[in-house]
Order: sequence, then C-alpha cells, then structure tokens
Amino acid sequence: MKTQLDMHKIAKGLGAERRGKVAATGGYFGAMQLLADVKAQFRVPDGGGRPTDPRWTERRLLPLAPRTLKRLEELTAKVREHGGANVEPMQLAALLLERTTEKLSEDEAEELVRPKRRASR
Amino acid sequence: MAKKRTKAAAKPHILEGGRKRVLVVLFVPSVERDGTTAIDQQFWVDSALEMFGRVFGGATAYPKAKGIWRDNERGGALVVDEPVVMHCYTTPADIESARNLAELGRFCRRMGYDAHQGEIGLVVGDEYFAIHDFAEE
Repeated sequence: MKTQLDMHKIAKGLGAERRGKVAATGGYFGAMQLLADVKAQFRVPDGGGRPTDPRWTERRLLPLAPRTLKRLEELTAKVREHGGANVEPMQLAALLLERTTEKLSEDEAEELVRPKRRASR
Repeated sequence: MAKKRTKAAAKPHILEGGRKRVLVVLFVPSVERDGTTAIDQQFWVDSALEMFGRVFGGATAYPKAKGIWRDNERGGALVVDEPVVMHCYTTPADIESARNLAELGRFCRRMGYDAHQGEIGLVVGDEYFAIHDFAEE
C-alpha cells in the first residue's frame, strides 16, 4: 500500500503552488531516463572490457521467463539504437531491479510475494 | 497438521533499502527569464547536488535536456533552454519534514532570484509544484 503524501503540507513548506498531477515514469521520458541512467552509471573497468556499474560486485543467478528475456533484448536494442550505449539485457535487468528496489516500499514488497489465494487446508 | 504461523511483526524487512520511494525532480535552467542571458548552470547543479545530498541523502543530475517554457507574464514569450534534470529519491518522512521543505524551498527561491527566473519547477511524488515568489521568508 502506498503512503499518501500530504501535498498541501509540502506546497506550504516549499512556498510553492500546486500545479497538478504528473506521470513521468513511462513513455519517452522513462526511456530517456533509463538511457541517462546507463550513461551515468556505466564505466569501463580498469582492466578493460564491457562498461558496467562498478558498484555491482555481487553475482546471482536470476530465473526469468523467456518473454521477459525477449523484452529485455528488445529494450537494450532500442537503447543502443537511440543512444549508442552498449548495454546487455541482463545489465538492463540489474538496472531496473536496482531502481525498483529503491522505490518499492516494504508493504508493496510483501504484497508482491504474498500468495494471491490461501489454501483452505 | 497446521503449520505454526509467524507473526507479521516478527518478520524481517524484505527490502532494507526500500524506504526511499518518493521521487523529487528539480529542473535547473540554463538561461535567464529573457531567454538569452546564460546563467552559471554548473554552479546551480553543484549547489543542488550538495543540498540534496545533505538534506535528503543523495541525487542524480542527468545530462542537459532540451526545454521550453511559456512566460505568461511576458505576453506568452517562449523561453528555450537546456535544463539539467535532477532526481532525488527520498522518504515520505523526509520530504514532509518542515525543516527539509524549508531548506528545499529556500534553495529554489535563491536559484529563482539569483538566476532571474520566472518560475522554478519541482516534481514531488506525482505532483508538479511551481515557485514564483522568490522573496526570502
């Protein structure tokens, strides 16, 4: 469950005027943000090789559905096409995972992993 | 045999880093309200990063974008600029703190006044806020 922010309090505290709702997580803005994230975070390792985020020091196997992998491949192809960033599908997956975990609340995470329907016995 | 249920309160937190879920977006302009006089954008980007880091724990400044703004107080003149978009993830508690809001508002008013802006735009969560009055409170 999302926490409702007190927008009136925020406007008052900022000395600002409320201008209305925005939706800035998808579409072109979202794609450009993703590309900017790649450009901002990825670095060529000291010893050479493919650019990556130097903070990514842990490695785990991640199970995923074929259609998810296909979607990641399509997205990385678009990123390469638009910005020239050479990003691999699983690097994009790591970036998306990082962004989502930063934004996801504990309640939302619990809701995601909770079984939809409980067995009667 | 029924399994013993674990109390929800005893569960460990699933995502320890999942509390920073409010996105604050700030636009740092490149020109003054007249649309031609360049401002010291790098100074304001660095200052905003310092403020976001100190008050909210961090932020990211993206590469320059292309922007346009209609100045209704100057007969609808269009101001074309290259803003730097800054993203800061924070917590509901931190963004609703009167002290933090005062600091963020103060920064926006200072940038608006010193850089001769018509408006400073800020997105908090899913809402756009505009600051016009740059007088110090």
